[in-house]
Amino acid sequence: MLFLQVLVFGIILGGVYAVMAYGLGLIYGVMRIVNLAHGAVLMLAAYGAFELHARWSLDPLMSAVLIVPAAYWAGILLFRHVVARVAAGPALEPGQTAAMPVMLLLFGIGLCARNLAYLVWTGDDRTIALSYGLSTIDIGIPVATTRVIVFAIALATTAGLFVVFRHTHFGRSVRAVARDPVAAELSGISVPRVSARAFGAGTALGAFGGVLLATLYVINPEFGGPFLLKSFCIIVLGGMESMPGILAGAMTLGVAETAAGVYGGAAWQDLVSFVLLVLILVARPGGLPSLVRR
Amino acid sequence: MNRLAAGSTSDDRARSSAGRRQVAIALAVAGVLAAMPLVLGPGGSYFTRLAIIGLLYVASAAAWDLVGGLTGQVSFGHAAFFGVGAYVTAILVRGGIPLVLTLLPAAVAAAAYAAAWGWPCLRLRGPFFAIATIGVGEATRLAALLWEPVTGGATGLTLPIGRSSALVPYYLALGLAAASIGIAVLVRRSRLGLGLACVREDVDAAESIGIRSGWIQVQALMISAAIVGVAGSIYARYLFYVEPGDVFAFNRSIGLILMAIIGGVNSVWGPPTGAVLFLGLEQVLAAWFPAAHLGIYGLLLIAMMLFEPRGLRAIVSRAC
Repeated sequence: MLFLQVLVFGIILGGVYAVMAYGLGLIYGVMRIVNLAHGAVLMLAAYGAFELHARWSLDPLMSAVLIVPAAYWAGILLFRHVVARVAAGPALEPGQTAAMPVMLLLFGIGLCARNLAYLVWTGDDRTIALSYGLSTIDIGIPVATTRVIVFAIALATTAGLFVVFRHTHFGRSVRAVARDPVAAELSGISVPRVSARAFGAGTALGAFGGVLLATLYVINPEFGGPFLLKSFCIIVLGGMESMPGILAGAMTLGVAETAAGVYGGAAWQDLVSFVLLVLILVARPGGLPSLVRR
Repeated sequence: MNRLAAGSTSDDRARSSAGRRQVAIALAVAGVLAAMPLVLGPGGSYFTRLAIIGLLYVASAAAWDLVGGLTGQVSFGHAAFFGVGAYVTAILVRGGIPLVLTLLPAAVAAAAYAAAWGWPCLRLRGPFFAIATIGVGEATRLAALLWEPVTGGATGLTLPIGRSSALVPYYLALGLAAASIGIAVLVRRSRLGLGLACVREDVDAAESIGIRSGWIQVQALMISAAIVGVAGSIYARYLFYVEPGDVFAFNRSIGLILMAIIGGVNSVWGPPTGAVLFLGLEQVLAAWFPAAHLGIYGLLLIAMMLFEPRGLRAIVSRAC
């Protein structure tokens, strides 16, 4: 019975984790950029949801309608005016790519965002108190209503992304650029434009993940850090770029964390993702998909 | 490759005179620093305290660069070595062993820890290695928090306060900084340094000419970790107190990256210069902008990446 509970809770947690990690996976997949500002995106979006709820008592799921497009445009502007410039600039050492400067740049942006949050919202914990926050739904075992709603939204998001990447022009051009930028350029796709839009979409997905997380966790300026590492862990588990892989990785981490929390204690819960991250990077850099393919 | 002091090349004489000038300047700086506490007397305690931290920064930044610069593997996890060194010293000193005898165990423990996770992780390149080090650093901090019987958990460990003054850690830190810079020079001149530079430029090509890329990178990480571990050890003796949230702090690792980036990665003098500037910046920020230090580090990093990712070294060499 306890095992079943762990499984169900873990999978439900995995749903939110998947939405949180898609943005990071998208940006890495298309541009090979590790977005160290992803945690800051999650955090700022969570505060955005908090503010809209506190001021106009807007439900976080409604506030996503405002926050997600704003994040999309912010991501595009950031990419065009800052990230792309550094990516085209010199490397730390002659002869290398500009991957490290871009990573450090995004890390710097993350630091600025954290500082901004301290100045605006102080270091205190904030929570979004929802009217249905304490109710539960019985699906054989009682589960918090918010978690079920968030899980359903996460699944819908996954399905939506699947359709977008398969059947829209934008999705197909993104996949083309991810596969081979030169061939994409030759077949008439504007790589800088698609990259900017993919960066925007990645930021928007991160913001959506942040809004969902805000309904489940307390928000503070350090909110992003652990979730950034968990997102890494997930995309690494998921083999870095495949969407189903990320979903499977998120579920795996969700179950592993829940199990560690139940059997080991709350402190072990945070350790799981780090240990899993390092183990997978070292033992199976291809992530879960490489297990299946064998 | 020509940037490395490799041996008998045509402009060897010019380089050796430049090298002699550098050694002379370094010796003069070291001499002034060694005399400082004696000149200032008891009134110099603020200087001594600041200088201990600064010298530990210099030593650690030069050590970080062996991995982050020379090998080209950016580590976000060097605080782990600092913490291991600090804790080994704290535990041994509490067990009644004199401080000076704890320096070597701290170095060995940090190097062993580096070998333990460096061996698997150094197979990863670029961003993957960087991410793995974030994971290792944070996991180490959390493990130290959880392992209460040994580390004292969140309360940390207090060291017995002896009679000795702050001059002991001061001179130890000065010695370590000098040793660290000396090691940075020696490694770059050695076969190991040449191998590391090859690995940084092209792993496959390096392996094809018989360089064991995994093993020499582990060696670099172990040397780097040993120095940072001794820095942690001296820090523990200086503060008489170690706590996971301080010695294993992620911000320590970030600080080292910033120092190296500010000064210019992959150079003997870049990271130490960056460390001194970072110390000054830290003091200014703590005094005048305590609420904005994260953001200012962030802005600095953004500005460096936008305008000169190769740091002060490149700016200076362009100006001269």
